[in-house]
Amino acid sequence: MSGIGKRFGGVAVLRDVAFHVEAGEIVALLGANGAGKSTLMKILTGVYTLDEGRVEIGGKPVVIAEPKDAVGAGISFLPQEISLMPEMTVAENICLGLMGRQSSLALTDRADMDATAKRVLTQIGFAHIPTFEPVGHLSVAEQRVVEIARALATDARILVMDEPTAALSEQDAQTLFDALRSLRDGGTSIVYISHYLSEVFKLADRIEVLRDGLNAGSFRTDQTDVDAVLEAMLGRVADKLFDHRASSRRDGEFLTVSNLSWRDKLTDVSLGVRPGEIVGIFGLVGSGVEHLGKVIFGAETGDVSGTIHLDGSPYYPRTPSYGKSRGIGYVTAERKTDGILSELSVSQNLAAAFWSDYRNGPFASRTAESRLAHRWIESFGIRTSGPDQIMRFLSGGNQQKVCVARWLHEDVRLLILEEPTRGVDLGARRDIYHWLGDYAAQGLAILILSSDAEEIAGLCDRALVMNRGRIVGRFDANADTAALMAATASDQRQGEMPASGTQ
Amino acid sequence: MSTQRRKITQLLTGPASGVLILLAFYIALLVLFTFISPFFMTTRNLTSIASNVAFIGLMAAAGTPLIIAGGLDLSVAAVAGLSGVLIALLNAAGWPIWFAVAAAIGMGACVGLANGFLATRLKLNPLIVTLATMSIVGGVALILTGGLTKPVMQPSFNWIGQGRVFGVPAPALLMLSVYIGLALLIRMTHFGRYVYAVGGNPEASRLIGLPVNRVQVVLYVISAMSGAVAGAMLAAMLGAAAPAAASPHLLTVIAAIILGGTSLAGGRGSVWGTLLAVLILGTLNNGLTLNNVSSFWQDVTRGVVLILAVGVDQLRIHLQAR
Repeated sequence: MSGIGKRFGGVAVLRDVAFHVEAGEIVALLGANGAGKSTLMKILTGVYTLDEGRVEIGGKPVVIAEPKDAVGAGISFLPQEISLMPEMTVAENICLGLMGRQSSLALTDRADMDATAKRVLTQIGFAHIPTFEPVGHLSVAEQRVVEIARALATDARILVMDEPTAALSEQDAQTLFDALRSLRDGGTSIVYISHYLSEVFKLADRIEVLRDGLNAGSFRTDQTDVDAVLEAMLGRVADKLFDHRASSRRDGEFLTVSNLSWRDKLTDVSLGVRPGEIVGIFGLVGSGVEHLGKVIFGAETGDVSGTIHLDGSPYYPRTPSYGKSRGIGYVTAERKTDGILSELSVSQNLAAAFWSDYRNGPFASRTAESRLAHRWIESFGIRTSGPDQIMRFLSGGNQQKVCVARWLHEDVRLLILEEPTRGVDLGARRDIYHWLGDYAAQGLAILILSSDAEEIAGLCDRALVMNRGRIVGRFDANADTAALMAATASDQRQGEMPASGTQ
Repeated sequence: MSTQRRKITQLLTGPASGVLILLAFYIALLVLFTFISPFFMTTRNLTSIASNVAFIGLMAAAGTPLIIAGGLDLSVAAVAGLSGVLIALLNAAGWPIWFAVAAAIGMGACVGLANGFLATRLKLNPLIVTLATMSIVGGVALILTGGLTKPVMQPSFNWIGQGRVFGVPAPALLMLSVYIGLALLIRMTHFGRYVYAVGGNPEASRLIGLPVNRVQVVLYVISAMSGAVAGAMLAAMLGAAAPAAASPHLLTVIAAIILGGTSLAGGRGSVWGTLLAVLILGTLNNGLTLNNVSSFWQDVTRGVVLILAVGVDQLRIHLQAR
C-alpha cells in the first residue's frame, strides 16, 4: 500500500501512508488510539475506499472497493469480536466461505466439509478441535483458531487481525501464537494490530508505527526496544493536549467503592473519587475496565457484591435512571451504538438526560432546548449548522462533545467517562480534556476509564491500572504513559506499584 | 433558477417533507377523482369517506407512536372486535350502555398492559407477543358469541357511529380529536421526546436514564385502548357487533402507518402522516368504487401505492443524507 490518503468529512485521517508486508512475515501495526491503524486496515479489507494512493498484491495493482474484492484478492480480516455462527458446527463455520464459490443449490457434502475442516486445522496444529461440535461450545481461544482456519480454507494469503488476544488468557494467547507462527512459516502474510507491546515483541518480525495518520516509524523487532517504539507511537503530542492544572481536589470522597466484584469480570475493586478530582483507570481491552463504569452506573446489574457509597451514604446500583437520580452521569464508550440519539436534533440530544428541565408549563419547550443548545454550541465549539441539525450528520468529535455536555448539569456530581476520546480528532480531544479540567476545578468528581494510557497519564490527578478484573497498580502523583503500560504487563500481585510514578 | 431548485430540494429534504409529499399526493388524488367522477366531490360522498376512514384511522392513530417507539401491535383489530362484542353482550345482560363501553375500554387497557409487560419486561419480540394476543382475543370474541353477530341498539350509543355535528360525522370528529391529542402528546410533551428517543436508540436512551420500558408499556396500553374505542364506534355505526368484523382491517392499519412515513425500525414518523395515509387509502377505495373498479383491483392498487410511497420515502432519506 502506498501513498494512502483518507478523509472523513474534511478531516484527514491518513496522509500519504505507506505500508507493506512480505510473504511469510508477521508485521505488527501499532499506534495510539486514533492514529489511523484501523482506518488503514479497513481500506485494505474493503470496508472503506481510499481517496488517494494504491494497493498492490504480488506486484500487481488491485482495486478493493468492497469486502468481496478483498476476499477475492486473498485478504482475510479477523475483527476484534469473534465473528462465527455459534449454533453451527466447526466444520460448517470453516467451510462457510467456500460454499459461496459453488452454486447455491449444490448439495452440502458433510464428509467433504469435515475433511476440509480437519485438513486446515491440522495444518495449523489444532487437529484436536472436534469438527462436529457447535462453535459456541468451544473456548474463546479455540474459536479464534476456527476463524483462522476459515480464512485458511478460502486460501487467504494475507491475514489481518485486530486485537486477537483481547479476551484470551496468557496460555490461550500462547496457543494462538503457535498457530500464527506455523502459518507464517507456510508463507502467509500476517498483519497484527495490538496494544500489548509485550506480545508484539514476542511474535512480530517487523513493527510499523502510525501516528496521527502518518507513518511514524518502521522497526525490525530484533533491532529495537520498547522505548523506541513507544516514543514513535506517542511523540510529543501529549504536551500539546493536556493543560497543566493545579489539583482542585477537595476533602471527603464523593464515590467510595470497596471490594466491588461483578460476575467474573471484576474482582475486589476498591477506589475513591473526591469532588474536584479526576481519577483515571487504565486497562487494555478485556481487562474489565469496560465494565466498571456500567456496573457503578447501574447499566450492568446482577451478581454485584461489595459496597459503594455516594457522598457517604450507601448506594446499590439498580438502573441508569436510579444512578442518575443519585448524581451520577455516564458517557459510554460506544458513542455510535449506545451514545447518540442519531435521528434527533443536536438540541434534543443535549437536553435528553434532563429533559424535564426544559419546559414551559406542562409542555416541552423547543425554545428552552434551543437556548441550551446555543449555549453549548458556543461555549464548547460544537460544529453544527444549528441546534436543529440531526445528530448523525455531526463528526465523531462533535458528537462526543454533545455526549459529554449533556451530563454537565448541576445535579450530576460524579461523571464517569468511558473512552472519552475514542475516534475523536485532536482538536476535539484537546477541548474535551480542557473542559473536564474546568469542571473538576468547580468541584465535579470525574472518573475516567480508558485503554489510552497517554490520556490517563496526561489528564488524571491519580491513576489506577486494571488487569484481568483487578486493580494491579496505583499511581498517586502524575504517572507517565510507559509506567502505566508496564504495570499491565506485570503480574497481578506483584503489580502493586509504589505510589511514585516516574515523571 | 438555481434558488428555485434549492428551494425544491429543501422542501424535499426538510423535516416535514414526508408529510408535504403525502399532502401533495392526496390533493392530486382529490383533483383526479373530481374530474373522473361527477359524484366524487359531493358533500354526501365526502362525509361517507370521512365515516368510513374513522375506524381504521383510530386504530392507526395510536399505533403510530407505538411503532415510533420501537413497538408493534398486531392485536389492535382483534381488540376492536372483542370490544364491540363485550358492549353488545353486557348491554344485553342488563348493564347500562356506558358501563358496558367503559368495561370494553378497560378490557383494551388490560390487553395493552399484557402486551407491554410481555414485550418489555420479558423482552419477547413484539411481533410474536401481539400475534399471540391477537389470536387469544379474537378467539375469546368468537367463544363469547358463538361466532354470531349481536345487535346493539341504544340511540345515545349509536349516535357515536351515526350522528352528525354541523353536518360532520361524529366518527370523523372522534378520530380527529384523537389525532390532535396524540400529536400534542408526541410533539409537545417530554413523553413525546422519550417516544422518539426510545425508538431511535433504546440502549442510548437507557444509558441516559430515560424510562424506556415505561414509555413502551404506556404506548401499548394506548394502542389497545384506541382499538377498543374503534370497536365501540364500529358497533355503534353498524348497530351490531360481529366478532370478526375488525380483523380484516389490520393490514390496512399497518399499511397506513408505514405509508405515513413511520419507520418500522422506530425513531421516525408522525401522526399527521398517518392521518393523510388513512385518508389516501380511504379515498382511493371510494374513488375506485365510484368508477366501478372491482374490489380485487383495489387491493392491487393499494399494494402499488404502498410500494411507491416507501420508494419515495427512501429516496427522500437518501437525499437528506447528502
